[in-house]
Amino acid sequence: MKKILKLLSLIVVFTLILSGCSQKAQNSEGSSSMEEGSSPEELEESTKDESVEVEATSKTEPLTLNLEGGDWGYPTPYAHYARGPGIYKMKLIFDSMMETGEEGLIPFLAEKWDIEDSGRSYTFYIRKGVQWHDGEALSAEDIKFSFDYYKEYPPVMDDLARSKKDYIEEINVIDKYTLNIKIKSPDATLLERFGTARIIPKHIWEKVEDPLKFQGPEAVIGSGPYKLADYSKEQGAYKFEAFRDYWGYKPAAATLRFIPVSDPILAFENADIDIVAITPDILSKYQEDPSYKIVESPAFWGYRILLNMEARPELKEKALRQAIAYGIDRDELIDKVARGAAKIASPGFLPIEHSFYNDNIKKYDFNLEKSRSLLDGKEYEFSLLTGNSNAEVRIAELIKLNFEKIGIKLRITSLDMKSRDAAIKSGEYELVLNGHGLWGTDPDKLRIFYNSEFQETPGYLNEEIDALSNEQLVCTYPQKRKEIIFELQEVIAEEIPMLTLYNTSGFTVYRPEKYDGWTHVFNHHEITHNKISYLIME
Amino acid sequence: MMFDCFKKFFEYSIIFFFILTLNFFIPRLMPGDPFTFLSSDEGGVHQSYSEEQIEMYKAYYGMDKPLQVQYSDYFKNLIRGNLGYSIYYNDNVLRLILRSAKWTLGITLISLLISTIMGTILGSLSAWYRNSIVDRGLYPVMILLSEIPAFLMAILLLFTLAAKSSLFPLSGGITVFGEYETWFDKLLDVLHHGFLPSLSLTLSQLGGFYLLARNSMITVISKDYMRTALAKGLSSKRIILRHGLRNSILPIITRVFMSLGSVLGGAILVENVFNYPGLGRLMREAVTVRDYVLIQGIFLVVAFLVLAMNLLADVLYKKIDPRVG
Amino acid sequence: MSKIVAIKRFTLVGKLSLFFIVLLLFIGIFAPCLSSYTHNTPSGESLEAPSRDHLLGTDDLGIDLLSQIFYGARLSLIIGFSTSILAGLGGAILGVLSGYYGGLTDKIIMRLTDIMIALPDLPMMILLGAFFGPSIKNIVLVLVLFSWTGPARIIRSKVISIKKEAYIVMAKSYDASFYHLLKTHFLPEIMPILAITTIKITSRAIVAEAGLSFLGLGDPTSKSWGLILNHAINFKGIYFTEYWKWWVIAPLFSMMMLILSISYVSRDLEKVLNEKL
Repeated sequence: MKKILKLLSLIVVFTLILSGCSQKAQNSEGSSSMEEGSSPEELEESTKDESVEVEATSKTEPLTLNLEGGDWGYPTPYAHYARGPGIYKMKLIFDSMMETGEEGLIPFLAEKWDIEDSGRSYTFYIRKGVQWHDGEALSAEDIKFSFDYYKEYPPVMDDLARSKKDYIEEINVIDKYTLNIKIKSPDATLLERFGTARIIPKHIWEKVEDPLKFQGPEAVIGSGPYKLADYSKEQGAYKFEAFRDYWGYKPAAATLRFIPVSDPILAFENADIDIVAITPDILSKYQEDPSYKIVESPAFWGYRILLNMEARPELKEKALRQAIAYGIDRDELIDKVARGAAKIASPGFLPIEHSFYNDNIKKYDFNLEKSRSLLDGKEYEFSLLTGNSNAEVRIAELIKLNFEKIGIKLRITSLDMKSRDAAIKSGEYELVLNGHGLWGTDPDKLRIFYNSEFQETPGYLNEEIDALSNEQLVCTYPQKRKEIIFELQEVIAEEIPMLTLYNTSGFTVYRPEKYDGWTHVFNHHEITHNKISYLIME
Repeated sequence: MMFDCFKKFFEYSIIFFFILTLNFFIPRLMPGDPFTFLSSDEGGVHQSYSEEQIEMYKAYYGMDKPLQVQYSDYFKNLIRGNLGYSIYYNDNVLRLILRSAKWTLGITLISLLISTIMGTILGSLSAWYRNSIVDRGLYPVMILLSEIPAFLMAILLLFTLAAKSSLFPLSGGITVFGEYETWFDKLLDVLHHGFLPSLSLTLSQLGGFYLLARNSMITVISKDYMRTALAKGLSSKRIILRHGLRNSILPIITRVFMSLGSVLGGAILVENVFNYPGLGRLMREAVTVRDYVLIQGIFLVVAFLVLAMNLLADVLYKKIDPRVG
Repeated sequence: MSKIVAIKRFTLVGKLSLFFIVLLLFIGIFAPCLSSYTHNTPSGESLEAPSRDHLLGTDDLGIDLLSQIFYGARLSLIIGFSTSILAGLGGAILGVLSGYYGGLTDKIIMRLTDIMIALPDLPMMILLGAFFGPSIKNIVLVLVLFSWTGPARIIRSKVISIKKEAYIVMAKSYDASFYHLLKTHFLPEIMPILAITTIKITSRAIVAEAGLSFLGLGDPTSKSWGLILNHAINFKGIYFTEYWKWWVIAPLFSMMMLILSISYVSRDLEKVLNEKL
């Protein structure tokens, strides 16, 4: 009996210690690791900084912005997760030569650039007086180093993609602030790729041989407007602090906190977070109240259905594809699944708000009559693979009901996201529904999605599409390129090798009284996922 | 006796080896790999890896090697206590698991403890005052509780106590970036967050322990020596403590150890209801992103815990009650 | 005949529970005829509160919840009963073989049950569920894999104890075949115990399916109660609106009611059968 009592009391104590101290241990771990990295000089500097801040902000409280958290990885170019929230947190710390702005690319670390030799030579003029978070000066050497380092160790966001087939002939540091890159053949997408590659400090990373495991205070030294102050993986919380010696635009907030919430809307109501994406169902609640501001996002996130023409060769018939396209009631999908917060996707892929969008192309309004006449009495049966999200399953169900009316039977199978992605990759599907973002980025996407080289639609080949999409890539005259892409969209809409459904727009609410600087950039739907939202832009 | 223990240990080792092997193959045979991202959750954005990147990562994690090589590497690493490096989280698996495990163990142990003690006390009372108002009131309620699965209870509690009234936080294990005056405040905060998850688990376990305690107490009471004690005029309190509990505690202790598996199972679901930062949530994440290394690690730790507890229950049972075996 | 007598001796709660299960069975079978709406097409506005038209309201697509609950009852019962029948049958066969023949057969089967019991079932089910892919058939298979051990062990010990009894030993000495013994002596004794254990498996299977669906690992096209809960809880702002009052509560209570009913019936059945023995 005594033994048992002892055992029980032991368990009590153990449990209390476990749950009580666990947090303490972890917090002290986090803070000590932060301190370890800062040398004595740095500490001195940071105290100096604080005194400056007190002077500057004695009138107004320093702003703390709170956003929805969640664990998205350690914000280095190698350790963040390959998802939006991980990507932009890393970008807050690491600057690049250019950033995406409201209208297009804006100069950041590069003040200006020249493209010469009909698109074969790029010269970047680097801003002077830029500091790394540890006080070292940033120079053209760092940029060359970053580009070469990414060749050897591709980062998560490997837009440069030079590890396998290197298209760069040479990178020359002309002087401390001038960099020249010579490439083998012209490529219209390169400027943006060069411009947005994150720059990492040479003096830190040149010693690093396993960048995936390189984590800690040194790994998050960048030249961006914010520094990482605290991070808790299992809670999914981040704290960023403004970098006071930032070269240019002033960081809008002294502190950014990303805190985990179970229900973002409720957290927004309680003012735990300052900005939230809302569903149209509760839009009316905020519309009347002037203390809230609602913005609609550009519709750059969407669903599309891929057709596997290798598995079902009958899909190579244009009439069948058009019949299917006419048989989808996109308005109903938007109404019921997206709750109204979406726009019909263009059959030419590029969304309506895309700067290269061509409105003058064939449209496929819901029309069962047309559908039936195109099918000409033939009946088909296909299987449609979807992911397991609520929306995808429901889209599939609604499409199935309309297809029955035109004589096409759909068998819906549903897998979890990962298995569905694997099925797409291996081509084990007939029709597959897929949803993803980044529809607003460079129109070279058309080449990747429709050119037969990439087999996004297995078994599909259209020489005109292939030729046009290859032509736009090497065309370095913006106006000419735009014309080609407009023509390309016309052909794609007529051919309809894949079915675009709708692009979600979605709404975001915030309190302008607290912070009113939220801005959408030209190619992304998330208002919080860009750098300029966190900077005071003149 | 020694030999028996050894034999049991050997048996469990074989089971454990079987689990290890299963654990290695199942995630690898699952469709999908950790590096293919072609889609994202609605509104989310993902970065698709290029073929070159996928090749590089596969080589980096040793997944380009043939399965039998990977299999032997897996055991070699296990012996060194190395559970590997998570692909998605980019962190040491053992560290990840330990970080989450303390939260899970916190709520499971607390709820096991409370439900055992409460269940035993209430069960004994019920048995002692059998057919009284107390017994008649408790018995049906406890039967009800014993049947309702923890995660349904959790959803009910979430909506009634946390969502509308905001008496309790909806999620998380602690206020993030909370600043505390004393460690006691911090403890309170942790308890506040852990209250509803623990309560759901406690309630779902309580019924079982109550019924067990009540049954074994009733059996004990009807035994001869108890009647003798009663006839001797010993006070009923002493009889319950000295004779009753002592004899009925054995099945309860055994059950405590045996039920760890099912409590952990319940905790996995409950954590997902409350977004509690424990192993359950980590496991669900790991499965959705196909993080082989992490899935293996979590499963290994859970299986090890459950097996160890079962072994302990076996050994303890023999030790306390020499009649067995 | 004896079954009806058994039911008569149920408690009031037991009788009510049995009535509820039978009612659900009836609802499950005739689900499409009972409701004026379908379970998979919208029939009203989105998220209507309960009204005369939609007794339990509608979900985010405007699909009538009552008809979804009716249809979900069918799924829960199919999953529950097919799991318990398969597991009960399989477990019983293995249990009889193990108990009757003993020796190596017995050793192998018993070690297998040891392993299955030691495996933490929910984590394993999550893993297997993700591996086999989500469909009702696969979920039942996984559940059976984890449920056959209970009946197997109980039946085995029962068979061993019957085998020792004098009349069996006698019958065996007269060269009575295994099938003869099974039919005339074992089965009548085994059946009641088997009935009780399989009923318990039923409710466990229903809960497990709900749990998997709730985690998003069930069959997303199945419309089971767990899936309705999953959809409801993942609806943005569910805590914030009144929607949960019908969207969450309806499947939650249906499931609780079914689980409780099954448990009360099995309790009463156990009691009645024990008295008989």
